Amino acid sequence: MNRTVRTICLLLVGSLLPAGCSKKNGPVSNDKVFRYPLVAKVKSMDPGNVEDVYGALIASHICESLYTYHYLKRPYVIEPQLADGMPEISDDHLTYTIKIKKGVFYQDDSCFPDGKGRELKADDFVFAFKRIANIRYVSPNWGGFKDRIVGLDAFRDYTAQFKNEFEVDYSKEVEGLRALDDYTLVIKLVKPWPQLLDDLTNVVTAPVPKEAVDLYQKDMNYHPIGTGPYYLKKWNKAVYLELAKNPNFRKEYYPDQGAADDAAAGLLAASGKPLPFIDRIIFRIIEEEQPAWLLFLRGELDVMGIPKDNFSSAVDFGALRPTEAIRQRGIQLDIYDQPSLYYIGFNLLDPVLGKNKPLRQAISLGFDRKKFNELFYNDRWTIAHGLIDPEMNEYDPNLVEAGFSAYDPQQARRLITEAEKIQGGPIPELSIGTVGGDPFSRQIGQFVQRQIQAIGLKVKVEYVDWPTYVEQMNKGDMQVFAGGGVRFNAPDALGVLQMFATKFFAPLGNSFFYSNPEYDRLYDQAEVMFPGPARTELYRRMERMVLADYPAVLTNRRVQWTLRHGWVKNFKPHPFLYGYFKYMDVDSENQNSYKSRTKGLEKER
Amino acid sequence: MTAYLIRRLLYMVPIVIGVLLATFVLFKVVGGDISQQIAGKNADLETIAEVRHEYGFDKPLFAGLTPLAGDDWQAARQDYTAAIKNERQVRAESENRSVLPISAFDLDLKAQRKWLGDLFRQRLNAHQFGGALEMITLDSQFSDHFKHALTFNFGRALDREKISDKILLGVGPSLSLTIPMFIGTLVVSISMALLVAFLRGTVWDYTIVILCIIGLSIPYLSFIIFGQYFFAYKMDWFPIFYSPDKPMIHSIILPALIGIAAGLGGSLRFYRTVMLDEIRSDYVRTAFAKGLTTRKVLFKHVLKNAMIPIVTNVVLSIPFLVLGSLLLERFFGIPGIGYLMIEAINARDFFVLNALTFMMALLIAVFTLLTDICYAWVDPRVTFD
Repeated sequence: MNRTVRTICLLLVGSLLPAGCSKKNGPVSNDKVFRYPLVAKVKSMDPGNVEDVYGALIASHICESLYTYHYLKRPYVIEPQLADGMPEISDDHLTYTIKIKKGVFYQDDSCFPDGKGRELKADDFVFAFKRIANIRYVSPNWGGFKDRIVGLDAFRDYTAQFKNEFEVDYSKEVEGLRALDDYTLVIKLVKPWPQLLDDLTNVVTAPVPKEAVDLYQKDMNYHPIGTGPYYLKKWNKAVYLELAKNPNFRKEYYPDQGAADDAAAGLLAASGKPLPFIDRIIFRIIEEEQPAWLLFLRGELDVMGIPKDNFSSAVDFGALRPTEAIRQRGIQLDIYDQPSLYYIGFNLLDPVLGKNKPLRQAISLGFDRKKFNELFYNDRWTIAHGLIDPEMNEYDPNLVEAGFSAYDPQQARRLITEAEKIQGGPIPELSIGTVGGDPFSRQIGQFVQRQIQAIGLKVKVEYVDWPTYVEQMNKGDMQVFAGGGVRFNAPDALGVLQMFATKFFAPLGNSFFYSNPEYDRLYDQAEVMFPGPARTELYRRMERMVLADYPAVLTNRRVQWTLRHGWVKNFKPHPFLYGYFKYMDVDSENQNSYKSRTKGLEKER
Repeated sequence: MTAYLIRRLLYMVPIVIGVLLATFVLFKVVGGDISQQIAGKNADLETIAEVRHEYGFDKPLFAGLTPLAGDDWQAARQDYTAAIKNERQVRAESENRSVLPISAFDLDLKAQRKWLGDLFRQRLNAHQFGGALEMITLDSQFSDHFKHALTFNFGRALDREKISDKILLGVGPSLSLTIPMFIGTLVVSISMALLVAFLRGTVWDYTIVILCIIGLSIPYLSFIIFGQYFFAYKMDWFPIFYSPDKPMIHSIILPALIGIAAGLGGSLRFYRTVMLDEIRSDYVRTAFAKGLTTRKVLFKHVLKNAMIPIVTNVVLSIPFLVLGSLLLERFFGIPGIGYLMIEAINARDFFVLNALTFMMALLIAVFTLLTDICYAWVDPRVTFD
């Protein structure tokens, strides 16, 4: 036994020693490497299946769409990416003829003959769109195409006869989707689709080579094949994902025009240089805040959002800049809006809330948005005064004064008296449903409960899991739902107005079951209108119509506070552009010497 | 021995069935419908129905009825839609609203069951017993659950990756963390337990007992947060987080040491009690009286006689090694089974959770049997009769 114990001890110590002695980072590579943290795992990188922000972020660096947003110009400008110029649009706005760039090649992959990436063809777009329509593929993005393209809905019905997605014959013609030749794509619409170009910037609409689907089938999620500046080099699904420069990437150059301040900010210094600058992009999936924060301070991550608990030590809130300790490390702070809307929703089918506007208004007036923002978001986010985000063209700045986001608990209590008259007695106890998996959600639930109780109403909070929350909300079984939020993918506000149209009743987005015939009539007009003063006026009118009915308590909008090491160059956040790392650069020398330069700072703190 | 083994293996059958039933009830019946989550935000009714079909959520839970070839499902669907439209109109008028939400027939499982139940009754009333019997199906969600578990083919997770691949990839990193942690804790705590048992009542004994209690009182998370901040960040002795650029061993030293430190309090207290029980025995006094050295008494006699509780504790811990360490793996980015489990909980991936729960139950059943076999190995008084 003695010998056994001794052997075990030796094995244990022996196994730990070599690793303990090799804490250094090893040889420094000359590659330009950009390291970015993800706080959740990536669901899918297959363009047709992408539905989350991280999936879109990564897939957009591998796969490209026909159009994209100009990186620097503001207001946001759409420009061709894989398309050779802007589309030719028929007078009735129903036919789009799009030329495809010649000489664009896919990355090398074993799905192609001899493993060499072939040239992009118009047929790849036709295939990609039909694949999303394939009901057996179960794309979460089909909703965006429904009732839009001539013959595509019929193609979807046709696919229902097959047992699985791979049996479907994609050679079946769809009238509204045709490749006239290898470089010309024609899209015929059922009705005008003013947001089509915005949607064609989305990676969801990226071309997919059929060879890849035939080879990888259900594993396409892990084999994104595209024409983009990077290809997927390594993916340890739980913690690590690495992209490397695609040697087949066409010649593309850094923009030579931008917004007014861009030249002064040094954002035009790289004009005309070939893209991309960075050789490898490393995404590290770190769900806990502490290790991510320590890695960032150590210089092993290049950018990072600020953890709630580290906010005061990282940011001098009054001066809107990093604290002295953070600045000593050469770290900079970027603050930018992320078009979004967060709210507490009312189910208007509910017999108590649905018929009682004063009650809904009272709850809205009794909600202290400022305190909510301070308590849960370090006062970093902004209060939502209306539906349409300030980053959108149709934003109405006068809404701030309109009082839809006012906090007035006294007026709220007065309205409760009126609400009780409509109810014919005291308001019965209300029920708020929220997702209760983590302490943060529970704290929010408790805050909302206290706010409503403060105006004299009885309320209980029910914490449920996510599937139950979605199911109950979509079925109209939840009275009040506190967990709602949307992030906008395009500068067009129709997406938020859609959330209140009757034809988009849940599960299609209108979880409030807000239904107003006049609003629906205006929505039908708005959805086929192209940008211009008339549409802006109509959007704003519709927005006020919804707000006046109080289907929700609008709470706040996300503002991103990001810390960035000084060696990261050409960084200009764009809320609608996901594939922007190709424009960014890294000063490797500065990056590699960081650890020695900051030696001792860890011990001082 | 063989008869005993066969008997114990047969006992495992109802245990496995019980576990399957419990996981099914937990994840499928209580867990709620995840088809809308899988279909994605704002998915239309058709897509949700397709998800239900693909994952078999539209099948009965245990057993149920299914339409026969001639039954007109399409007509039922149309009748249903017409009825709902009519009801919707009536309700809309009475509540002064334009429309109310509807559920498609393919989504409304209650409506489907009612329709099938009516058909079944019609057949019985018409004495078409063959047709009625033919409608009964055992092709259910439970039978699928049973099949998947017994063939170890757990299908695909919500991210479409094969669950078996996920588990196989996670076992290595988990074991590389938990095995050194386990052996380290075992060696240190047994050695120290022997020592303090021998030095019982002295200042050393009291000091170690107090330290154990302090160790037991500090939350596991505090050990991790402090260890990571101090040893990895401040002292820069270890990596903060796992990186595939470096061998796994680099990233597991610190979490393993933290695991050993955090687990030492409990196990040392346990083994001390075991050793004290033994050290007070008559044979120990006799051994010392006969002039045996302390080392020989402790390691040759006391340790050997204390093996039953040690074996129980050790062998039953082995299945948990496969499961990894949830918190350590998450904080240090070790892509093991613990990480997989947390990820599945966060994503509400019941398929992965179900597979892990079943595997765990199976491992525990097997290792409980092994524990019993080990009893006979370490203690000649134990037989299999």
